[in-house]
Amino acid sequence: MSEPILEVRGLQVSIADKPEIHIVKGVDLTVGRGEVHALMGPNGSGKSTLASTIAGSPSYSVDAGQILFKGEDVTEWSADKRARNGLFLSFQYPTPIPGVTMVNLLRAALQARRGQEVPAREFLVELRSTLGQLKMDESFARRYVNDGFSGGEKKRAEILQLGMLKPDLAILDETDSGLDVDALRTVAEGVNALRTAEMGILLITHYERILNYIQPDFVHVLVNGRIVRSGDASLAKQIETTGYDPILQELGLSREKEEAAAR
Amino acid sequence: MTDRTATAERYTESQVAAASIERGEPQWLQEARAEAARATSALPMPTAALRPWRYTDLQGLDLEAFPPHPAAITVEGTAPAGGFAGRLTGGPAEVAREHLGSVVATTEGKFIAANAAQWEDGVLVHVPRGQAFEQPVVVTIDAAGLASAAVYPRVLVVAEEQGEVTIVLRTRSGADPLLAIGVVEVIAGQAARVKLLLDDQWGEATRDFTWVRARLAKDADLQVASVAIGGQLLKQTVEVLLEGEGATSVIRAVALGNADQHFDFVTLQDHIGPRTTSEVEVKSALAGASRSVYYGITRVGEGAHGANADQANKNLLLSGSAKADSDPVLEILTADVIRCGHGATVGPVDQEALFYLQSRGLDRRQALQLLVAGFFQSVVGELPLEGFGEQLEERVFAKLQTADL
Repeated sequence: MSEPILEVRGLQVSIADKPEIHIVKGVDLTVGRGEVHALMGPNGSGKSTLASTIAGSPSYSVDAGQILFKGEDVTEWSADKRARNGLFLSFQYPTPIPGVTMVNLLRAALQARRGQEVPAREFLVELRSTLGQLKMDESFARRYVNDGFSGGEKKRAEILQLGMLKPDLAILDETDSGLDVDALRTVAEGVNALRTAEMGILLITHYERILNYIQPDFVHVLVNGRIVRSGDASLAKQIETTGYDPILQELGLSREKEEAAAR
Repeated sequence: MTDRTATAERYTESQVAAASIERGEPQWLQEARAEAARATSALPMPTAALRPWRYTDLQGLDLEAFPPHPAAITVEGTAPAGGFAGRLTGGPAEVAREHLGSVVATTEGKFIAANAAQWEDGVLVHVPRGQAFEQPVVVTIDAAGLASAAVYPRVLVVAEEQGEVTIVLRTRSGADPLLAIGVVEVIAGQAARVKLLLDDQWGEATRDFTWVRARLAKDADLQVASVAIGGQLLKQTVEVLLEGEGATSVIRAVALGNADQHFDFVTLQDHIGPRTTSEVEVKSALAGASRSVYYGITRVGEGAHGANADQANKNLLLSGSAKADSDPVLEILTADVIRCGHGATVGPVDQEALFYLQSRGLDRRQALQLLVAGFFQSVVGELPLEGFGEQLEERVFAKLQTADL
């Protein structure tokens, strides 16, 4: 097993404003360098909450457990400190920021990541190279962040940021949602183009579809806040064929029961 | 400390008249000065009982305790043939005489009267028919070095039929207390195009009260952009009289406040002629205990059939102590209106946008710098001066670097 980048230990998470609502109920997960982990699960199972919590979203609070990133306990770290240290979250619904160009965001983010000024010329060279790698037009970078972007453009903008920031861990939250097949292929090709032996990827998805393009090394199934199955890529194939219900039944679980237990 | 009695003397009719003669001003101007001096002493200070002054308390401001003093004024810009940009008193006398005080009447209020009586080194920009200034006219009013004085900037812009000009009015002062009372009059003839950028770089203890009013003939276009970053108190009244059919105007303003800064914007979009179009967008971002006030009137007169007007005021609160008040007003006297919209918002920054930027490694301050610069972009992006947008962004970043967020 490769050196772990992300270690989630016994993580329990609730909504910051509504501490009575528990969403993640004890998750253990380790992602190593160069590995692709797919986290699958039905709607409402807590996938996005887990992703946001790992990234440090103030909307959620950690009730128990730890998040270790590159060996350090980052559970109490701010989102920006995590990001500067090499953690990247690709949003399921990237936020529009009118008036701020992609270029301005990318340069500010890159400078924050490197902890130093990035000269304009050097920045432009890197930007052009990354745009080229992702087969994206330069005009894209001059647009306002996610403002008026189509679903596909929003996801490509996330991948562009990923490409520029070169994180140690990329969490891709439902990067496939809302995309048609062509857009999905483009985005997946982008991710593949940026994969390195150093970067770990946690790919969160409802459908198995994106896994046809990005081959996972491990697949985990999250149901009602717990990982109930882990396996290799064949687990995803199984879900594609049968859906989640057989897994739930096999475990003696049903969504209704779980919800009743949560109450 | 200045002698209050001696200073107040400077505002009397006799001293104003004497100063006018000493400057060698023509008879008509001497008379106008005397009338303005009488109006200054006769008129009361505005009080909070007046709606445009509701949120700006002038208690304790004693106009006549600030000795009038000329600021250092420079005018850069090359006029086209037959045109003029420079000292009002050195320009074409008939243009000055015909138009000075024709849009903003001397007796309207105490401050305006004081300006009419006291202005020195006023500026005239005259665009002859069918001519255009190729480069912006940059007027710099620099009051650095003055303390406890009053400066009275005065600008008259006369653009004749199909004339075109861009004017930048830049105001500066030092850290000492200063009072600035400005009047800008714009007369835009048929199909004339005038752009005006108000670039406030006042020092931290300057209180500025400025009136800008424009009269637009048929198909004339006026664009005003105001950038307020400096000053302790800035009250800016920008009014457009859309008299001619098809006249259009855009007024945009941005203010960035910190500490106890107070910004007060008043706008008037007065649709008088048919098929006139106007837009107002006033945005403020407020840190510390700064405050922004907006009072805007869109008036659509009986003859303004097919008017199209929009008015927006947006306030971003960057700290818990910042405050904004918005008072948009519509007065519509004709049923035949294409659109007459208005909207006002006051609220903190979008928490999702903040998290998005923080998830990219920007700390809270850096994220807010970017968000505020983006918030201002709709105004800044269309400024009529090359390179100004970048400069402004730097000033926004610099101010927010130390602001109380």
